[in-house]
Amino acid sequence: MKEVVILSGKGGTGKTSITGAFAVLAGQQAIIADCDVDAANMHLLLAPDFAERSDFYSGELAVIDSNKCTQCGICAYKCRFGAFSLSNGTYVLDPLSCEGCGYCQITCPEGAISLVPRKAGQVFVSTTKVGSTMVHAKLDIGAENSGKLVAKVKNSAQELAKLKHKEFVIVDGSPGIGCPVVSSLAGASYVVLVTEPTVSGLHDLERIAGVIQKFRIPMGCIINKFDINPEMSTQISHFISSNGIDYLANIPFDPSFTKAMADAKTIVETQSPAKLIIEEVWATLTKKLIN
Amino acid sequence: MKIAFTAAGTTWDSQIDSRFGRTEFIVILNEETQQLEVIDNSAVKNEAHGAGTATAQKMYELKPDVLITGNGPGDTAATALKNLNMKIFVDAHNLTLQQAYNSYKSGSLKQL
Repeated sequence: MKEVVILSGKGGTGKTSITGAFAVLAGQQAIIADCDVDAANMHLLLAPDFAERSDFYSGELAVIDSNKCTQCGICAYKCRFGAFSLSNGTYVLDPLSCEGCGYCQITCPEGAISLVPRKAGQVFVSTTKVGSTMVHAKLDIGAENSGKLVAKVKNSAQELAKLKHKEFVIVDGSPGIGCPVVSSLAGASYVVLVTEPTVSGLHDLERIAGVIQKFRIPMGCIINKFDINPEMSTQISHFISSNGIDYLANIPFDPSFTKAMADAKTIVETQSPAKLIIEEVWATLTKKLIN
Repeated sequence: MKIAFTAAGTTWDSQIDSRFGRTEFIVILNEETQQLEVIDNSAVKNEAHGAGTATAQKMYELKPDVLITGNGPGDTAATALKNLNMKIFVDAHNLTLQQAYNSYKSGSLKQL
C-alpha cells in the first residue's frame, strides 16, 4: 500500500481540486483521507454518503458542579480567558472561551470544577461517488484541527487500505507547515506539492519542502496556473530542480476548474486541457509508486 | 545497551511506528538480558498538540543508548533530543521490530 500526501504550503493553490481529481482517477483502488479538516471541502467534489459517524474528542473543557458551587466567583476572577460569567446569580461557563487550561480547577476552593474531554467534531467513513472509501471529519464551531485529529483520520484510512487490500491512500493535507501538516506526513510514500506562481506561493513552497526534506520523503511539484506569471514560474522551477524535487507538471490557468467546482465535479470529469495534464501526472505517479 | 523502538505493537513481530511523537508504544530492548520493556504512549498520542516534545521528554526519562524509528523525530523534537547522548536511526517503518533490530546490527539503518 502506497500513500500519497498532497500539500501546498500556501492555501488556495488548487490542492484540493487536484486531490479530488486524483481520487476520481484512482477510483476504487484508493482510500481517500481528507486531513484538511479546518476547511474540509473534498466532500463537495466526491459526494460521500457520511455513512459511519463517530464523535471526536480533543482537549478539555471545564464544567461546574452546581451542587458544590457556592457562587464565590473566584473562577471568574482567575480565568484569563473570561470564560466564566454571572447569569441570574449563578456562575456559568462559556465553552467557546474556555481553553481547558485547568487553572479554575486548581483555584476553586470548593472543588466544584472538573475538566472533561471536549467534543471537537465528528469523523466519518463514507463511500464516495466513485465507490471508493473516504475518511473525513467535520469540526464543531470554535474547534481547531490538530495533529491528533489528522493522525486519527490517517490511521483509519491506512487500516482500511490494509483491510481492503487497496493500492493507494490519497491524503489531502492542510495548508501551512504546522502540527496537522507534520502529522499528515507520517508513513507517506510520496508528497505532491501544488504551488502557484506568486511570491507567497514560492515562499510557502520553500517552507513546506524544508519540512518534507526533514522527514526524507520523496516529493514532486505541480505549478498550477503557471502562465499567469511566467517570471515567478521560472523562479519556482529553479527552486524545484535545485532541491531534488520531481517536476511533475505545469498546469495553465483554466476556468474549467471553477466551472467544474460550481458543478460539484472534479476537473477530470470535464473536457479541458488541465484534465489531460492531471491524467498524465497520475499515470506518472502510479508508475513511480508501484516500482 | 538499551535500544528504544517506536512501535505500533508490543512484541518483536510488531511494526515500527512511523511516528515519533504519536507512536503507540515505546519498546525498549535491554541487550544484556534480551528483555523487552513496553511503555504505553497513548497519553501523548491523545494530546492535540506538542506530541513530539512530550515523547522527547520521555526519552530523557528512559535514556536509551539508541533510538530506532520511522519518519520522525520532527525538527522540534530532534532539537530537544540533541543534548541526549543517544544515536537515532530512522526510516525503519515498514519493518518489524525484529527486522529493524537486525538491520541496525548489520549497519544498514540510516543514522540521523
